[in-house]
Amino acid sequence: MKLLTLPVLFACASAVLAAPTGPHFENDIEPLLSRHGCNSSGCHGKAEGQGGFKLSVFAFDPAADYAALVKEGRGRRLNPAAPDDSLLLRKASGATPHGGGTRIKAGTKDYGRLREWIAAGTPVGDPNAPKLVSLRVEPLEKVLGTKATQQLRVLAKYSDGREADVTDHARFQVNHEGLASVTATGVVTTAETPGEVTVMAAYMGEVGLFRAIIPRPGSAVSADTLPTFNFIDGLVGKKLAKLNVAPSGLCDDSEFLRRVTLDLAGSLPTSDEVRAFLADSATDKRSKKVEELLTRPAFADLMAKRWADILRVDRQALGHERAHAYYRWIQEAFAENKPFDAFARELLIAEGPLKEVPAGNFFKVVTKPGEAASTLSQVFLGVRIACAECHHHPADRWTQTDYTGMVSFFTPLSSKGSGPSEALFASGDPTSKHPRTGESVFAYALGTAMPTANPVGDRRPVLAAWMTDPKNPYFPRNAANRVWAMLLGRGLVEPVDDVRATNPPSNPELLDGLAAFLVEKKYDLRALVKVVCASRTYQTSSAPNATNERDELNFSRALFKRPDAEVLLDMISQVTGVAERYPAMPAGTKAVQLWDSKAKHEFLRLFGRPQRATACECERNTEPSTGQVLNLLNSPELQKKLSHETGTVAKLVAAHPDDAKLAEELYLRLFGRFPTAKERDTAVAYLARKTSERRKAAEDLMWAMLNSLEFQFNH
Amino acid sequence: MRLPFCDGLTRRDSLRLGTAAVFGLPFTTAGLLRAADAKKPKKDVSLIFVFLHGGLSTIDTFDMKPDAAAEFRGEFKPVPTKLPGLQVCEHLPKLAKETDKYSLIRSFRHHNSDHGPADHYMLTGYFPTAGFNPNLSPNNQRPAHGSVVAKKLGPVGSVPPYVCLPKLHPSCGPAYLGANHAPFVIDSDPSSPNFSVPDLAPPPAIAADRLDDRRHLLQQVDRFQKSAESRANKQAGAVETFQGQAFDLMTSRDAKTAFDISAEPDKLRDAYGRHSLGQSCLLARRLVEAGVRCVTIDHSNWDTHDGNFATLKNSLLPMFDSGISTLFRDLSERGLLETTMVVVTGEFGRTPRINKNAGRDHWGPAFTVMLGGGGLKGGVVVGASDARAERPATDPYGPEDLAATMFTRMGIDPKDEFHTPDGRPVAIVNNGKTIKELV
Repeated sequence: MKLLTLPVLFACASAVLAAPTGPHFENDIEPLLSRHGCNSSGCHGKAEGQGGFKLSVFAFDPAADYAALVKEGRGRRLNPAAPDDSLLLRKASGATPHGGGTRIKAGTKDYGRLREWIAAGTPVGDPNAPKLVSLRVEPLEKVLGTKATQQLRVLAKYSDGREADVTDHARFQVNHEGLASVTATGVVTTAETPGEVTVMAAYMGEVGLFRAIIPRPGSAVSADTLPTFNFIDGLVGKKLAKLNVAPSGLCDDSEFLRRVTLDLAGSLPTSDEVRAFLADSATDKRSKKVEELLTRPAFADLMAKRWADILRVDRQALGHERAHAYYRWIQEAFAENKPFDAFARELLIAEGPLKEVPAGNFFKVVTKPGEAASTLSQVFLGVRIACAECHHHPADRWTQTDYTGMVSFFTPLSSKGSGPSEALFASGDPTSKHPRTGESVFAYALGTAMPTANPVGDRRPVLAAWMTDPKNPYFPRNAANRVWAMLLGRGLVEPVDDVRATNPPSNPELLDGLAAFLVEKKYDLRALVKVVCASRTYQTSSAPNATNERDELNFSRALFKRPDAEVLLDMISQVTGVAERYPAMPAGTKAVQLWDSKAKHEFLRLFGRPQRATACECERNTEPSTGQVLNLLNSPELQKKLSHETGTVAKLVAAHPDDAKLAEELYLRLFGRFPTAKERDTAVAYLARKTSERRKAAEDLMWAMLNSLEFQFNH
Repeated sequence: MRLPFCDGLTRRDSLRLGTAAVFGLPFTTAGLLRAADAKKPKKDVSLIFVFLHGGLSTIDTFDMKPDAAAEFRGEFKPVPTKLPGLQVCEHLPKLAKETDKYSLIRSFRHHNSDHGPADHYMLTGYFPTAGFNPNLSPNNQRPAHGSVVAKKLGPVGSVPPYVCLPKLHPSCGPAYLGANHAPFVIDSDPSSPNFSVPDLAPPPAIAADRLDDRRHLLQQVDRFQKSAESRANKQAGAVETFQGQAFDLMTSRDAKTAFDISAEPDKLRDAYGRHSLGQSCLLARRLVEAGVRCVTIDHSNWDTHDGNFATLKNSLLPMFDSGISTLFRDLSERGLLETTMVVVTGEFGRTPRINKNAGRDHWGPAFTVMLGGGGLKGGVVVGASDARAERPATDPYGPEDLAATMFTRMGIDPKDEFHTPDGRPVAIVNNGKTIKELV
């Protein structure tokens, strides 16, 4: 997407930063143009401008705006000799017809301010004038009732240490319109729904945030009476207490076993596993199960599938052999539990013959430096910088220069040779041209300072070192957040790969805690999985209570997770006892192990498998559809599995003449639990009704179970 | 400045209405009420929305500029139509004969020329706001037109109210109207030899009574159906809803008949054209006959950046001409045109200036929308574009106005509001005005 549209805000303004040395274009004039919506993306800020007059969107490019006002338009826009005749003022005040209407009335303070600047000869201002450094909002956080209001103050900090109130010239935006609204003057009003809402204030490319907590009204829930298993539960509980929400209870053993087996092995527990787990009286049996699951090859397969998606293992781009080698590199990393920083580093600095450095294949799928920079930022930092290719990121601090700085790491990269001897190498300088100014931008990482001299040679190792540094603000948090999202069904930052000021984590302390844990464990992902699975939060029941049925953000109950297309297909193959065959893959291959996402498969397509065209987790379509439901109800393929001569139904019917035993076995296999007495009776009654066609009746029972929500979701 | 008359009409409106409207009718309250009543459909009106994904080049088809410079006008010749004074492209001979049945809005425009956001704009009437991700499917920030229709009017009989074919466009989802108002998607090309709706019927081995048994058993077995869990987890609730809809559809004789395109005579199938667009139009007519209220056809690829003229002439326009002209004619012959509105549009038009690859690029600032039936006037040319078809030369219309017009004809008040799950009221149409020339 090229342009994000933010609401156009305008209203009468009262005060601007008092400039110490006469009017200053960037500090005094640009904020006015922003405040009155002149440079918004619907007006003169859009890519082609409006009526031949173009401003940079939200004043991110003062030099260009100055030129547009002062030099373009044959000088008619500003007239220092007769300021009121300036086209700028005539149009803005409505004295001359203006498509955008009257924006700044004559006689207002802002009009006077513009007039004064024009009369002064339209100075650029003192080049050494203090620069805007940061923005903060007062208050930072507040607990508000429903239908409450709060006036915000926005304070801009300048390089000389001075702070100025810029509330009147800031733009405001809420991240959740249903919970609260904000006026152009910074008055926040909460609605009637409890929850948490963040208000962004933006001023001249800087952003500041206000967080409002709106607790659930009604009597206070008693302080968390559930046990705390580790640090995670304390941090989750603290947040829930603020919202006056009580968590659901602890899940039982069969729920836990099914949940964790699906999460870590992508399969259902077998009936023997369920029986053994339920019979086990050891107090540490849950953590032992996690340990055991993590050592299964299925765990590495499951992780490899996820990472092959976003690191874009692509047979069409790479050819069969190379794509497979690239996939194997990913799969083995998870099989041997390679520290995650080492994994990222290997990929980032890949160089040499691709045969020996399979990670380098990434750069053969994502070939353009710009694409590599934005893909790797999204995958490893969770930051989407692609907006900043064309203009300053409208909802974050990233400039076009920041974007270009990241691109420069990858410009020296190219390959020589072909076929089996193809090799990646870096040559030339890590610089590239700024897309607008054409100036050279040297390689530098997001949020760091650009080197003053051209850093010669391959700078990717510097990028890798910055990224994997324990103090890096993005990398460990992003890795931790992805693991959390996989296990809890929702990221602390959601989407997991869209970290920005306007999309803050739902529980920053928890995200910090998980990231710190991962760093402390030297990026051992399995250690992180273990600690999350050991938390009471992970082991919470999915049954909602009266206080948390509407909470989707704070992990007060286990969220239903929809298994990925591949996992669902494996679950079906597993319980029917009939494996799926895939073209060009050995017998017994599981859908999760299909490294080639382009291999045709109707079920996988229908259930949302991604094509690996982007690095976005969102490419996997998780939305249910009628077509999917019809497939499970009616597909001939599924019926074949149910009635297969060597399938589970045929085998169980033969092995269990007792209907109750047969029903029990099906419940253990499909639902991972024993049936209740009532469920057993229902099943037995159905089987007994059709004694002459017992196998068909058992097929029907399995069909019904396969089509249930209980089977189709991980809960 | 537009000063409204005391009756709420602006001077321009009265000019549009013509002198007969202003002076020929007495402006009494009763008269106004009658006028308002006349706008309401007597019968239910259905909608077939043909989306030309990628963007139809309207300067080459419905709004030709033969007097513009060579780098604009293109190589096609305009030819006369049934309607005196109206010319269309020489490669649309069949549509030229049906101009009494449809109208053209030549002063249509919006401000965006990017596929994703423009698609969303045309298919929902709302331009997307911050956070829109065109790569998502679905990516609806607002409900698609068909979902609005499904929500406001509900189903007729056992067929779904809203159907998408031959695939789901990412912006055709229900957004906050929820799974209940999602389209039924026929994910299959009606022009393929053995076309059938995938998995609509159980395998042959499963007889009807066994299906009933299974369904009954499923209700007993699934402890999460109608549970607090399925209410608290959106996707689980959606699967539950879809399951109910799926069973209705499977057991419906009407649905079965409606989807059976092979029941159509070969001659008519040939007339529509044996291609995806033609057969989709034919299936849409069958569905509307069976009671479907909105069918959205997503047809691609109209994104003619390269070799615009060759692609249009050799492939796209012949399909378009046969499919759309036969749809209008067929609906008319069956007496269905009065109750079936057909809207044909891309997400935008294409640049009047021809690019270096003999192509045309994306162009939102001016294009033509074709529409007719459902009680809308046929044979009207609404507005005009400028000499090069770069901008509207008369008061422009946009996606909001199109939506307002469609919904008004269908008996839906565009000013009605929906509430998002968190309680925020959102108008069905974002301040659109009915296109008066057509009603």
